[in-house]
Amino acid sequence: MIALAWRNLWRQGRRSLISLIAVAIVVLFAVLMYSMAGALTNGMYADLTKEVGNAQIHTADYRNARNFSDGLLDNATEIRDTVASTAPDAVVVGSLQVPGLLAGEDRSRGLAVQGQDWPELLREDFVTDYLAEGTFVEGDNISGIMLGQSLATALEVGLGDDVYVYAPGTEGYGAAAYTVEGILDFEDPRREINAAYLSLAAAQELAAPDALSRLELHYPDINTVKEDALIVPDIAALQNALGESTEVEVWRDLSPGLATMLNFLAPMMVIMSLIFFVLAGLLVLNTVYLSTLERIREFGVIISLGAKGRRIMGMVTLESLMMCLTGAAIGLAIGLGLIALGSNGFTMPGYAVEMMAEVGLPTVMYLSIEPWQILLAVGFAVLTAFFAALGPARMAANIEPAEAMRYTA
Amino acid sequence: MSLFEVKNLKKTYQIGDVKTDALRGVDLTINEGEFTAIAGPSGSGKSTLLHLMGGLDKPTSGEVHLNDKRIDQLSKAEGAAVRLDKLGYVFQAYNLIPVLTALENAAFVLELQGVNKKEREARALESLRALGMEKFRDRRPNQLSGGQQQRVAVARAFAAEPDIILADEPTANLDSKSGGDLIEMMKRLNEEKGVTFVFSTHDPRLLEHVKRTVNMEDGRMVATGMPEAVLA
Repeated sequence: MIALAWRNLWRQGRRSLISLIAVAIVVLFAVLMYSMAGALTNGMYADLTKEVGNAQIHTADYRNARNFSDGLLDNATEIRDTVASTAPDAVVVGSLQVPGLLAGEDRSRGLAVQGQDWPELLREDFVTDYLAEGTFVEGDNISGIMLGQSLATALEVGLGDDVYVYAPGTEGYGAAAYTVEGILDFEDPRREINAAYLSLAAAQELAAPDALSRLELHYPDINTVKEDALIVPDIAALQNALGESTEVEVWRDLSPGLATMLNFLAPMMVIMSLIFFVLAGLLVLNTVYLSTLERIREFGVIISLGAKGRRIMGMVTLESLMMCLTGAAIGLAIGLGLIALGSNGFTMPGYAVEMMAEVGLPTVMYLSIEPWQILLAVGFAVLTAFFAALGPARMAANIEPAEAMRYTA
Repeated sequence: MSLFEVKNLKKTYQIGDVKTDALRGVDLTINEGEFTAIAGPSGSGKSTLLHLMGGLDKPTSGEVHLNDKRIDQLSKAEGAAVRLDKLGYVFQAYNLIPVLTALENAAFVLELQGVNKKEREARALESLRALGMEKFRDRRPNQLSGGQQQRVAVARAFAAEPDIILADEPTANLDSKSGGDLIEMMKRLNEEKGVTFVFSTHDPRLLEHVKRTVNMEDGRMVATGMPEAVLA
């Protein structure tokens, strides 16, 4: 019956080929969409967690703090010790954000100057990815500052020039002068125009001695949303250990909009692919229906010879299934090949990179696909085959043999 | 022994407002081993009788019995099972499956019966051999002449070892030689293997060879017996 089904497919070779190619294209499109969704999801996750950490520790209710002091962590040293014992795999970054006015000779801008310490691993990536000119400001350097390139342009300053920071602190308002020692180039223009980095020591000296706004927890080995689930127990344990005076937030809490978008991304891709499968299914239905109509007499003969209705339905369904599975195999082979090529990372053409960075999309994407997504694409192809064959199969099974003998296509 | 029994069989077709009585009450008994022709002009009801005997259609009234079992009121599935196991068909237009080879066509009913591949190929080949077609086993129908195709069709019916083979005008589309050859082979199957044949035909060549003729006219059986007596 398999041989019969395969040969019947090619009786009208061109028609079957068109339907098969349609299924192949839809499967190819589906797996590429799923992999792009995965690339976007994991890329955005990676970019976000690289910038703000996989989790952050703040003082409780910090978002509603009325003044600068209320938003600071009181017992940063103890918290660091708790993190070290509860979440030993995390790389901890202390950060102090000081809202204020940053001024050059003639121009100024309101923003939050960021002071933070730099563990070696994170420092290397930051320097490689973002430091365009000058030197990296860190550690005991309390006179240097790094500015985003567009911020430096806006303030009309360059390397070696002085800038002045006016900011509130825990002991009143403060001001300090810093020398521009590093220029940073971010792909995200919004980040670049607001980027002003001091060493943690410099920021604490400016606004709040020994204080921190937050502790960032970075897990360098966690690079995807799926892997992120592995740190959930750590975070829960940490929150329990720290108590109610401190708030531990994961990346979903820090960027709820992004989290919501990512939650919808994969289901949206599935729904879109389903729509395309329905369209391909209409083409398959047409092919199977016409093929059945052309063979009414033959089905009448087969029923006359003793085939039951279920057998006839099976024959028609098998043909549809073989057509869709062959198309799916071709689409899958091409799709997986392209995904393998894209798994090493690719960037979009020049103008698109800026546009993507502006809207928070990753500029380098690494295609990947999960086994369940491959099964989903194949499963959709199988469902397409079954539903496309349903009507024609029933029609063939219900043929009256005596009438079918008189039928001329 | 009575193989087939038909009692007061009637069939009326309705097309729109027009009613056509294709059969007007036919009684017929077919015994095992018969080589019987149902003869008559076009429109006499030969094919209709054959279709009703074979369960391809339902009578308006009357009964059809095969091996003492009534088969005219079976469900579709039950009817299919009877056709599969008990009956063989040969059609006027051969009706081979075009994408299958001669061997595969001959084995088709065996495949429907669930016979395993090795056995069905062996039996199909034996059947083709009996019809002189084993050399053409790998050819598709479009590579065979009309006579050859019809022999494959007979092989298909014969391979499944049915109780009876019903043949609807088997020689109608064949030339004299092919038709004659086919008749000879079917007769040999009847005599050597004991296969029961019932034909519908108006081919005088076929009528020369049958043991019994049933003459139909206007949906009624008007005579039955030895051909020379019936056709006289």
